[in-house]
Amino acid sequence: MVAAIALVAALALRRPELAIIAAPFALVLAIGTRLARDPKVTVELVLARDRTMEEADLEASLTVRAVGAVDRLELLLDLPPGVEAADAGDAQVIRLRPGDERVIPLALRCTRWGVYSLGGVEVRARDPFRLVVWEERFSGRQQLKVYPRPISLRRILAPAETQAFTGSEVARVKGDGVEYADIRDFVPGDRVRSINWRASARRQTLVVNERHPERNTDVVLFVDSFVDVHGGDRSTLEDAVRAGSALATRYLERRDRVGLVGFGGVLRWLQPGMGLTQRYRLIETMLETGVEPTYTWRDVNLIPARILPPKALVLGLTPLVDPRFIAALGDLRARGFDVGVVEVDPVPLVEAGRSEIEELSYRLWVLEREVVRASLVALGIGIARWGDLDLETALEEVRTFRRYAKLAPV
Amino acid sequence: MALLGALTAVPLARASDDVVELGARVAAIAVVALVAALVLEWTALVPTAIVLVGALYAAQLAIDDAALDTASPAYAAGLLVTAELAYWSLEERDYIQGEPGASLRHAAFVAALGVATLLVASLLLVLVDTVRTRGLAVDLVGAAAAALFAIVLVARGQGRTSH
Repeated sequence: MVAAIALVAALALRRPELAIIAAPFALVLAIGTRLARDPKVTVELVLARDRTMEEADLEASLTVRAVGAVDRLELLLDLPPGVEAADAGDAQVIRLRPGDERVIPLALRCTRWGVYSLGGVEVRARDPFRLVVWEERFSGRQQLKVYPRPISLRRILAPAETQAFTGSEVARVKGDGVEYADIRDFVPGDRVRSINWRASARRQTLVVNERHPERNTDVVLFVDSFVDVHGGDRSTLEDAVRAGSALATRYLERRDRVGLVGFGGVLRWLQPGMGLTQRYRLIETMLETGVEPTYTWRDVNLIPARILPPKALVLGLTPLVDPRFIAALGDLRARGFDVGVVEVDPVPLVEAGRSEIEELSYRLWVLEREVVRASLVALGIGIARWGDLDLETALEEVRTFRRYAKLAPV
Repeated sequence: MALLGALTAVPLARASDDVVELGARVAAIAVVALVAALVLEWTALVPTAIVLVGALYAAQLAIDDAALDTASPAYAAGLLVTAELAYWSLEERDYIQGEPGASLRHAAFVAALGVATLLVASLLLVLVDTVRTRGLAVDLVGAAAAALFAIVLVARGQGRTSH
């Protein structure tokens, strides 16, 4: 533009100086456009691992190739929310000679659990005169699974009833085991080794020791995916999945069978199982958990019977906001399941509002929650309010409740 | 900005009183345009500022009817370097960390561009000055150049038809 205007002005005003001013601009334009060639840049993001933990750094590398020379190659990593560049920013500038291949080491940090598709890179190449710009977008193909950060749990909720297989939970019934239960009179068929000789000597009749066997238990994690209450950098669903992951890991360590039901707009389930494979299955199923809005009424009839084995402990992970999930908890209790609830407390995430009406609504909502909680407790469902306290302390609340509370007849 | 200030000062310093008042206004608009371009990141205002400064220079030459200005190569180089520096400044707003030495390399490139502009413009100035003398030797050189250019064109045309 400058060159054209100067040339026209030179002709109009008959001043050769203006043509002299126009000449360098025109030359730069002519040479620059003549030399500009599409550098044919290709970019590939390679992750060191396809699984990582929340808040952990992940090594990655960006391999950049160019057929032609690029004076300034801008690379902008298109990272999804929840993943960020740990060391430098998500943008870099490099220079490439013809046929060059450059490997740029990167460190990524995942701030939220989930399944991410990475590898989206926006590329902008400029020629030496910065006259021509080539832009291209490479879409992501690398899948990264980010597991929730581990939560330390030393004690967990013991189910009311145990299953038939050997495990780590001391059963309430009597049988072959290690833990001492009681003594009783000897009956034919009792093993000699179980005779309690001291007690027999005192009573002048043979008595035998009775013991509690160690059995495994079935635990079903019942995750509420009807609603997700956000506030600041926290969300109830994120915390519920974190808690679910920690509980599943801890129960599986005790050789219990753990299953999963994601109860919400989309019903997800995983049949109870045990072992390391089940742990990965559980966590990866939970990673896919998201809120799918629905207005249809859903109840526990939708859940296949094999997913909820008899005598299983059903652990609800919920903010206790959606009435459908609260009703489902009551249903399960009414069907004889041992139900406990980890309430991911949404109250600190909700602001009271400024106006009088808003404040009043907030107080009514908090009171309504108390009523819901009381109705569940009346059914014999222990509730652990998990907010500011750590999860283990919150679970202690349910443990105490289950120790002293009288279960409602069902 | 300093370079643009210097470029506006040159014609204003040489201008007659008739030009100074109007020139000062144009210079102020040019400076404001460049400041706006850099602060608001409006790239379209960079050529506007350059054109305004060039217009100021052209107005001074035309109104004062000055002789052939020997400072025009330096002025051309100044304008080109100003434009390059302005665009470079806008590029740096992306806050993308570059490789070590990238800024130094680009500074050398801009400096080389300025020197090359100075040389080319000086060559053109010499040519213009020579043509202005209207000597027979120049006419002969011009005729020879035109004939050579015509021969080259014909030769290239024949080469294309044979293929």
